[in-house]
Amino acid sequence: MIAAAPSPLDLVDLPFMRTALLELGLLAVAGGLLGTWIVLRRLAFFSHAVGTATFPGLVVANATGFSAQGAGLAAALLYAGGVERAGRQGRAPGDAATGVLLVAALAGGVVLASDVSHSGAAVDQLLFGTLLGLGHGDLALSAAAAVVAVAATATVGRAWTAIGFDPDSARAQGLPADRADLLLLGLVAAAVVAALPAVGALLVTSVFVVPAACARLLTGSVRSMLPCAVAVALVQGALGLYLAYWLDTPPGPAVATLGAVSYALLALVRR
Amino acid sequence: MTAAVRADGLTAGYGGRAVLRDVSFELERGRTLCVLGPNGGGKTTLFRALTRELRPLAGIVHLDGRPAYVAQTERTRLDFPVSALDVALMGTLPRGRWWLPARHADHAAALAALARVGVRELADTRFGELSGGQRQRVLLARALVQEAGVLLLDEPLAGVDPASAETIASLFGELRREGRALLVSTHDVESARRFDLVLCLNGRQIAFGPPDDTLDRATLESTYGAELIVLDEAGPTRAITVQHHEH
Repeated sequence: MIAAAPSPLDLVDLPFMRTALLELGLLAVAGGLLGTWIVLRRLAFFSHAVGTATFPGLVVANATGFSAQGAGLAAALLYAGGVERAGRQGRAPGDAATGVLLVAALAGGVVLASDVSHSGAAVDQLLFGTLLGLGHGDLALSAAAAVVAVAATATVGRAWTAIGFDPDSARAQGLPADRADLLLLGLVAAAVVAALPAVGALLVTSVFVVPAACARLLTGSVRSMLPCAVAVALVQGALGLYLAYWLDTPPGPAVATLGAVSYALLALVRR
Repeated sequence: MTAAVRADGLTAGYGGRAVLRDVSFELERGRTLCVLGPNGGGKTTLFRALTRELRPLAGIVHLDGRPAYVAQTERTRLDFPVSALDVALMGTLPRGRWWLPARHADHAAALAALARVGVRELADTRFGELSGGQRQRVLLARALVQEAGVLLLDEPLAGVDPASAETIASLFGELRREGRALLVSTHDVESARRFDLVLCLNGRQIAFGPPDDTLDRATLESTYGAELIVLDEAGPTRAITVQHHEH
């Protein structure tokens, strides 16, 4: 039996819902803007891999009391640095290598969780997030990610566009292409870590790829894609949270499912 | 007079392995140079060394200022959501502080460059929706906006319609008269005759000099090997090449 629809105002009235909504709003700004660059630069798989790469670090942090964000950030930046280095040497990290890393990170994390720390119950949270149990620190980190995403897009956006469109000419023009790429990978890694408490290691794609991929289908220029991706992320976040509240499901997976369905529908309509 | 472009004993390649050896030439301002050679002969490698994307394995390169580089059109991302005007505006990035938004003067310069190559009316069209010749003209507009003294153009006439080819060729003449130095690589042996100088490459330098001195049968055979088809046995050597494109 599906319960009667609750009042949408509960999202604002109930403190834990208000916090979740605020977090989704902040992540919409960070994820929509950085997601636009992720989609345009074909880094979708990278951002997913960064999220998953943090999982073993989160398990260890969870068991030892070490800062989860610190451990996640260390793992994510290490991975981003490796990818940038491989790219600079002219060999993109192959899909096979990334696939192996994903399996190793997931399996290693689960082994650590069950055999070492015996904290199996927390694995769900680390993988899928807990939008309804966020603290002020989590919100502050997401707010910082949003501010940095806005600032980076405003200042480096033109260069990222030129480098993504035609890297050879951009380099010949004297644009610092390697440093701009490293900055983008580093920012994505850091923003993914900021999103981990809310959506977990496996669902970061729902924040950093899905809204921008939808916006890509709806718009015809980089300038319009950026605000559109933020708007799509806001709508998907608020609607997903409301549906989760109504249907009594975990909010992270609800937002992710809604995003996937809306992308599939848009892709069908735009075909 | 100092050369706008000079290479002396240049050897360049990838991962320490040379694919182009011992290239030496000079180009002054107001002169045009055609770079001829087969696929894999080292034309693009030469350009990458001139733009300093590749560090020479041996020898030196000197350029008078930063060049404007037009890579082969297939190096651009056709699915990128940018208009012709957006692409031309990219040429303004290093003119000032690239981290600031485009200024009114940048827009005016980009539109003027598009008008100069005859595609002003396509300013708002998506780059990926343009024809091959129109795309090449937009990339040329981006190079013009850079106001560089040296222009490096990698196969600007490949896959280009006759009308665009005509516009591009007459633009070369204008740029030459403005005192800019042009390096242009091409497949087309016949079009090389319109340049002041010709540089023939096939993994190494085969010849360098005015077209009348360089475009003879022996040089072209050394440059192209089996890819060369000689059209006229008598008189000046007229020849075409068979190009095997790598996809």
